[in-house]
Amino acid sequence: MAIRTTSAGAYPKPPDEGQTFVLRKTLQAMDRGEATAEDVQRAVEDLGRQMIEEQEKTGVDLVTHGHPGWEDILTPFARHIGGFEIGGLLRWFDNNVYYRRPVSVGRIEWRGPSSVDAFKSADSVATKPVKAVIPGPITFARLSIDEYYSDHDKFVGAIAKVLAQEAFELEASGAEVIQIDEPALLDAPEDLALAREAVGTVTGELNSATTILATYFGDAKRLGAELFDLPVDGFALDFVAGPDNFELVKQFPKDKILQAGIVDARNTKLEPVEDIVDLAQRLLESVDADRLWLAPSASLEFLPREKARAKLERLTEAAGEVGA
Amino acid sequence: MAELHKPDLPGAGLWTTSVGSFPKPDYIIKARSRFARKEISREELRELEKKATKDWIDFQESIGTDLLVDGEMYRGDMVAYFAEEMPGLEMGGLVRSYGNRYYRKPIATGPVGRDEPITVEWWKYAQSLTDRPVKGMLTGPYTICDWSFNEHYESRRDFVLDLAKAIRDEALDLERAGCKYIQIDEPAASTRMDELDLVTEAMDIVTEPLTVHTLTHICYGDFHHAYPKMLDIPVDQIDLEFANSEYTLLEEFGEHPFTKYIGLGVTDVHSHLLELVDDIADGIRKVMKYIPPERIFVDPDCGLKTRSIDEAKAKLTNIAKAVEIVRSEL
Repeated sequence: MAIRTTSAGAYPKPPDEGQTFVLRKTLQAMDRGEATAEDVQRAVEDLGRQMIEEQEKTGVDLVTHGHPGWEDILTPFARHIGGFEIGGLLRWFDNNVYYRRPVSVGRIEWRGPSSVDAFKSADSVATKPVKAVIPGPITFARLSIDEYYSDHDKFVGAIAKVLAQEAFELEASGAEVIQIDEPALLDAPEDLALAREAVGTVTGELNSATTILATYFGDAKRLGAELFDLPVDGFALDFVAGPDNFELVKQFPKDKILQAGIVDARNTKLEPVEDIVDLAQRLLESVDADRLWLAPSASLEFLPREKARAKLERLTEAAGEVGA
Repeated sequence: MAELHKPDLPGAGLWTTSVGSFPKPDYIIKARSRFARKEISREELRELEKKATKDWIDFQESIGTDLLVDGEMYRGDMVAYFAEEMPGLEMGGLVRSYGNRYYRKPIATGPVGRDEPITVEWWKYAQSLTDRPVKGMLTGPYTICDWSFNEHYESRRDFVLDLAKAIRDEALDLERAGCKYIQIDEPAASTRMDELDLVTEAMDIVTEPLTVHTLTHICYGDFHHAYPKMLDIPVDQIDLEFANSEYTLLEEFGEHPFTKYIGLGVTDVHSHLLELVDDIADGIRKVMKYIPPERIFVDPDCGLKTRSIDEAKAKLTNIAKAVEIVRSEL
């Protein structure tokens, strides 16, 4: 059987060179008082539809909703969850990309879904399954400022509860795969036990959805194979920024899915298809073909649109050759 | 570095300055897009940019700024501005930095260098408009590398060191033209702690032959991990954001004294909110517990280009007022 392929998160918003960047213009017009929130919403939905169509056209098996309306991966959630305010800008790991730090100022409470409408909107236009993406509780907590709980474990626990509700609602809305992003866990081996509990809270109420715990921007060697004990169905690892992950996956459990980030989502240089095939073959020594998903190393939003698309095309071409 | 180059400025310190960019008036924004569509000539655009530059120089003089910037009316993105002029770098497509902000990210496709001076003519023009000193503004080699794609170099170090030689040549040309303050921005320096040595190595290439006051601006990072190691960067002054980080860096200064001149960012450039004069004055007083006034420059956290012109002027005016108050207490 052919190896599956998937997107890993957000998709670039700017259009191909020479085309009008409608969402950007609409947001600018809204700043000047010349467009409404409805105009922006329409532009977000149009862009979301393009993102889905474009991903599907590359042949990728599992698409993401592309996050057309998200500022970053935390803000849309922090805005909906009770107890959070939105703080100052900070660098998103080692990228020239920024996010706003959520600041917890009160009791964290569920106030309705944050990402379900966006998921449904994407799912309604997709012909392939859409993977929902949510931040994980450890990353959410570590990238926030806690001014209320003053206790990391309690803070993580409170976030995990609302994310559990979010995951539950996503599943109820038809999400078959839910990716839980935990890039901050790579630098926090001391949080691994806490992660087991908190991620368990997030996945605990789900019935059938496949859950993937996603790490990126580095290797997981400080976490070691214990990472694979977390209560999810699979793990996303970044083999570009973290080549040591090739060693780690020698201990990959037989019953889990490996979403393998093997094309560089952060550099424009296009990998030759045969190189991608070689990397996939190497991974097949540790993981069965039906449990290996090939993916970009992280969200493709770090790349211009044409390059992102080309990366996915090469990925699917390589997957076809590995499977053949 | 052995000895710091003293600034040659009047008064006993707490000099006011700016980090670099100011907001562009509408007529520049329109002219830039008309130029991009080839509807006006480069000369027509340049005349407008000169007018806007003069307006900003006049404004800074009017509020008593000690060390001026030209406001970068003629620059877009701080990396692209250099990349467009450097062989080996090509302009890539748009990528997002945050929210609705995007930039063209350059791609290294061959060995990187510099053929001609890039910033000298503009610096000369700005300096001709005022008797007060105007800073020369360069983007640092580490940041150009970090904010570019790399399709050519085997290692980041090779890429950074080639860039450092090109930026050194530009800095030397500025110095020869009479520039006394050269800022080499490294906002990316706080990105990876394991590469701070590379930032330092590259900066040493740039500043080693210079005899003028040099400084670098660093932002958005994990200063608590970068400090005190960032003091190794061979410049006379480091400019840091204090407003956005709520002055938490000061805790570190208690433990490891700040050994250089400091550029003290006292207004958040990403907020529409105007900091009160009294709050800014308090911020300056807090820092003076750790660093004497004759080692302090006061400025906004970062370039002001994302604010409206009125907001930017209000923030700069409040900084000037706050400095006036604190100076009167010296």
